[in-house]
Amino acid sequence: MNNHWMRRQRRLGYVFIGPSMIGVLLFFLIPAAYSLGLVFTDYKFMNPKVGFVGLDNVTRMLHDKLFYLSLKNTVLFLVAVPVSIALGFVVAVILNQRIYLKKLLRALYFMPYITSGVAVAFVWMLLFQPKQGPINGFLRGIGIDHPPGWLSTTTSSMFAIDLIWIWFLMGYNMIIYLAALQEVSPELLEAAKIDGARPGQLLRKIIWPLVSPTTFLLLVTGMIMTIKTFGIIQATTQGGPGNSTTILSLYVYQNAFRYYDMGYAATISWALFIIILIITVIQWIGQKRWVHY
Amino acid sequence: MELQKRLLAGTPGRLLMTLIMLALAIVMVMPFLWMISTSLKTPTEVFKYPIEWIPAHPTWEHHLKVWTGPKSFGTYYLNSLKIALIGMAGATFLSAFAAYGFARIEFKGRNALFMLYLSMMMIPPQVLFVPKFIMFEWAGIYNTHLALILPGLFTIFGVFMLRQFFLSIPHEISESAFIDGAGHFRIFFRLILPLAKPALATLAIIDFSWQWNDYENALVFLIDERLYTIPLGLQNFILENTVDYNGMMAAASAGIIPMIVVFAIGQRYIIQGLTNSAVKG
Repeated sequence: MNNHWMRRQRRLGYVFIGPSMIGVLLFFLIPAAYSLGLVFTDYKFMNPKVGFVGLDNVTRMLHDKLFYLSLKNTVLFLVAVPVSIALGFVVAVILNQRIYLKKLLRALYFMPYITSGVAVAFVWMLLFQPKQGPINGFLRGIGIDHPPGWLSTTTSSMFAIDLIWIWFLMGYNMIIYLAALQEVSPELLEAAKIDGARPGQLLRKIIWPLVSPTTFLLLVTGMIMTIKTFGIIQATTQGGPGNSTTILSLYVYQNAFRYYDMGYAATISWALFIIILIITVIQWIGQKRWVHY
Repeated sequence: MELQKRLLAGTPGRLLMTLIMLALAIVMVMPFLWMISTSLKTPTEVFKYPIEWIPAHPTWEHHLKVWTGPKSFGTYYLNSLKIALIGMAGATFLSAFAAYGFARIEFKGRNALFMLYLSMMMIPPQVLFVPKFIMFEWAGIYNTHLALILPGLFTIFGVFMLRQFFLSIPHEISESAFIDGAGHFRIFFRLILPLAKPALATLAIIDFSWQWNDYENALVFLIDERLYTIPLGLQNFILENTVDYNGMMAAASAGIIPMIVVFAIGQRYIIQGLTNSAVKG
């Protein structure tokens, strides 16, 4: 084993990461730089004339009512994340107890996550059907005479989308919590029990703080994932009724591929990036302050 | 005595909890049950209340409609399978290749490059859609399957996940191979890849499910109906048959049931992979 050979072996590192780095360059870095450039243009697809417009797109965005509405809807959409985390935690704690059929139950709760996509969205569209759909049928059956219009009215549509999203995300959060709960030492719980801790105290004072890194991770990854999604909304409501479910990511898509207003779409997409950046930075700072390791 | 008392006290509680959780789990999967049940019903039975979970007059007619005729789901299936399988195989191999470099070779600038690589996860796909659209059009791959397959070969999550796994393999293995005169290529193919089979399977299954379910990229990059993948075919079917609820649910079943089967087979791997990359990440 001579030094020359070892050095050559070390340089092979670049060969190994090379293909993936080319992929990142072609499908991430170059497009991202390109997109940043588009922010300062009025580029429209099929229109050969491209002009430099400075910060016009940014000004336009800051005066765009629909931008603020989609921002608000994005926040409403994000509400689904903590709710699904809380539910996932509760289910995980129960499944972690002595209970029968653990594996089957885990699989059933997790199933929505794996079958994501439009297919499920269409099923929900029918389930939520306001006049004849089974959900409202059930609600009328138990005595609610005026059940919500779900996806069909501007006041309830975002709420209905949130329900679908909670249903979708819950199983994933549960799975991750189940793994985190494995790390909670049984001796610690036993000791607390001997000291007279009630189950509620055990949960609040010991288990919840111990899994806080997991909670934090789920919160951040869940929010980033939610911000990037628009598939289920495009499939069910296309942002309607009356823009009530237009979230930022969908608004980008609409500007780009419905109005072919590429420069403006790029601008909004960078606003989206800034939001993700803020969440990530909060993660870095917050991790130290709120999370107990 | 004490043990017996605890067992007697525990079992009914345990049974009750199981039943409650089972009931809730059934609520969770109810949309799937309703979908399958509806796809086998006649139109008049769709919105009958109370719900008839087992159709009184089951019919395969709607499934036949989905699978035959000029816009058969057969084409969409083949397209989706082609894209998902090539993407899965390519992404799994390339991820392993890069992960090996990041985890087991110490070269200059490695950590900086890895940080750069990971930071790409922060870029939302919306930022990339427009430039990719323009670039793909220029390169002549817009509205071809390559527009989905080529970017699908690269998954940042995959590299991240496999790197975690490779880091956990003891370094002594590589060192003794070095002494025997083996280089990194031989160590990668002969030693590490065989050891990583469970992790590779995990990534392969997760990646397959992503590619199979991918709607947003297909929506942006495909326009030709012959090239449609299942999510787009499904959307098309639903736009053209807005009142055919049974047909819609038969079509949705066609999209969902394969994923349920994949999940049933690979459940262990999927759950393990997602947990490892999240908890230890």
